[in-house]
Amino acid sequence: MKTDFNRVVVIGYGKATGGILKYTADRQADYGYQLEFIEHEIHALSVTRQICEERGVPFSSLPDKKELGAYLAGIQEKTLIVSASNNYLFPASLVGRENITIINFHNALLPDYPGRNAPSWVIYRGEAQTGITWHYVTAGVDEGNIIIQKTCEIGPDTKAYELAEKLMDLACEGYFACFDSVLEEGVEAKAQELLPGRKLYRSTQMPGDGFLDLGEEPEKIYRLLRSVDYGKTGVFPLLQSEVEGKRAEILRYRKILPKKRKEEADMLYLPLADGNLLKIKYRVL
Amino acid sequence: MEEKVLEILEEYCEEALAYTGENMMEEGVIDSFTVINIVSELEDIFDIEIDAKYVVAENFRNKEAIIELVRRLTKEA
Repeated sequence: MKTDFNRVVVIGYGKATGGILKYTADRQADYGYQLEFIEHEIHALSVTRQICEERGVPFSSLPDKKELGAYLAGIQEKTLIVSASNNYLFPASLVGRENITIINFHNALLPDYPGRNAPSWVIYRGEAQTGITWHYVTAGVDEGNIIIQKTCEIGPDTKAYELAEKLMDLACEGYFACFDSVLEEGVEAKAQELLPGRKLYRSTQMPGDGFLDLGEEPEKIYRLLRSVDYGKTGVFPLLQSEVEGKRAEILRYRKILPKKRKEEADMLYLPLADGNLLKIKYRVL
Repeated sequence: MEEKVLEILEEYCEEALAYTGENMMEEGVIDSFTVINIVSELEDIFDIEIDAKYVVAENFRNKEAIIELVRRLTKEA
């Protein structure tokens, strides 16, 4: 197996990054590239450092954007940068360099849902299907040619973190499938059909503008709750609402059987079309 | 309380019940998504709020650490 890439740099965080890092380390012997890992966003539950230690992969933590940019700008040899669950935007000066190829995993089926928090937006909009895209990185966000895509269904109770996990597993599958062709520069990449006025989702945007309107249909409320549910990871702030004329924030929710209903303080129950109840715990502000 | 915590672990991560080491996350017994499920279930069952500052590997290093966390939070509630 032969590649012209002397160096592979994996950058990212989370489950997909762990899987990709392990695989790229395990394939090092096949191609002979140097491998390193960069942590840019630091997460409390991350295990990438441990993976690097186990496999002897150099690990750098570069949380500062300028520092990371300077580090990448200093790369001289032919290098593949694998951006897996990474929110750092590579500068055009780096993307345009002859010796640098960057591939990125996006957690939606591009050209749809470019930008941030795509799993949230597909749930909020009631999509039945989504997926992942590996694409080459260009100066435009999520605009590069598509290397591979994989699809999955979105269930009626799927929460954002569950979908994010499913998409990370798919990202690994897609990476394993296209790895050799990327390294051997034999990918038949497909250009994206970018429509004028294409909307890019920003990190500052939140489904429902972050407000839960209790006057909406319970199904829509349930979609909103599921779409912003990333557990305690702080992707979004708590949803705000108004309960009996008072400002409140939503603490948690759950779909339950009607027989499980218990009258508790600061708890709402809304009837869902499937016969279950949507239980919502709130806190008056 | 302890029994309920163990029931939740059994549902979401049975391996955690048999684990006797000091870092379930690093050893791959439990991952961050399973932690989200467990936290959500603990909050619902015990009617407690588990702030993000408590959702760290140290508090999920083994079943005893999780039980201790719940014990502390239910006392505070």
